[in-house]
Amino acid sequence: MRVEDYIESGILETFVMGAASDDETQELMFMKARFPEVNEALQQLELDMELLARNMAITPPPNTWGKIEQEINDIIVRDKTSPEKFTEKERDNDDDFKQSKPYNNEHQYIEVEAESSHMKISKSWKWVFAAVFVLGKIFLACAIYFYLENRQAQQQLQELKTELRRLKK
Amino acid sequence: MQLQTSGEVGGSKLSSVNNLYNNYAGMLLGYLFEVVKSRSVAEQYLMLVFNDVPNEIEEFYKPGVNAFCRLQLMARKKMASFFENTEDHNTHNAVQNNVFIVKNKFIKEMTPDQQLVFCGAHWHGKSISKLAAEIGKPEEAVRKLLKECFTIIRVAK
Repeated sequence: MRVEDYIESGILETFVMGAASDDETQELMFMKARFPEVNEALQQLELDMELLARNMAITPPPNTWGKIEQEINDIIVRDKTSPEKFTEKERDNDDDFKQSKPYNNEHQYIEVEAESSHMKISKSWKWVFAAVFVLGKIFLACAIYFYLENRQAQQQLQELKTELRRLKK
Repeated sequence: MQLQTSGEVGGSKLSSVNNLYNNYAGMLLGYLFEVVKSRSVAEQYLMLVFNDVPNEIEEFYKPGVNAFCRLQLMARKKMASFFENTEDHNTHNAVQNNVFIVKNKFIKEMTPDQQLVFCGAHWHGKSISKLAAEIGKPEEAVRKLLKECFTIIRVAK
């Protein structure tokens, strides 16, 4: 396609109105870079868009810029004060660290773990816990056994007492 | 209009944004208002766009970049969800009721088909394929109509 035909096709107008597809935009960028006529035509169209917008302009409320300024200032302050994370790698290579990270304005933070509800213990403790568990079971079995024995003995004693009372009579 | 700068981008980001705001906020607000038809919503979009300008301020000062068109493009991106959620935007009714004509001398000069295509793309964010389907013409014809619209704007100025 000739450059004139490309300009006449309406693709430039489509782009300026934000209605061009990605492929069309890519093609246009290529044509714009290669052919000054395309670039010139595009700039003219952008001026036309400006003209149209100027014709329908509305003066913003006076406080709008103040709000924008405040928001931008907040963003700038946030960007400046947000510290970088401190890494061991940087500390190991001390010379590089000093050169690349002067500690004047560029603060860093050390990541620490938050308080956890879990605790860490040595693996050898598992045998101790196993022994305590087994012993606990043995004591429980013994307790049940002696309880039943005791109850049986009490019953026999009660029966003997009853027998004795009957013999006395 | 090409922004002028010397050395560093406009001294500081804030003053560069202020420069853009002073030059284009009114024009952008006018565009945003025609899209959303609500002054307060348009102002919110305006602030959203200008809050984002510092992130790409360098782009505005590159040679050949039209600052207003770039701002308008940013606004369109911000309004992408608005355009999607108002799929039923009826450009036919808007054109028939002269919604845009009363405010714009350039639109007055356009034929109904030209108005439909121009207003649909510009203020209702419609794609060329959608506009082609709406007016029952091929996409090439829609692009030609758009081109004619720009010729009218240029002649009418």
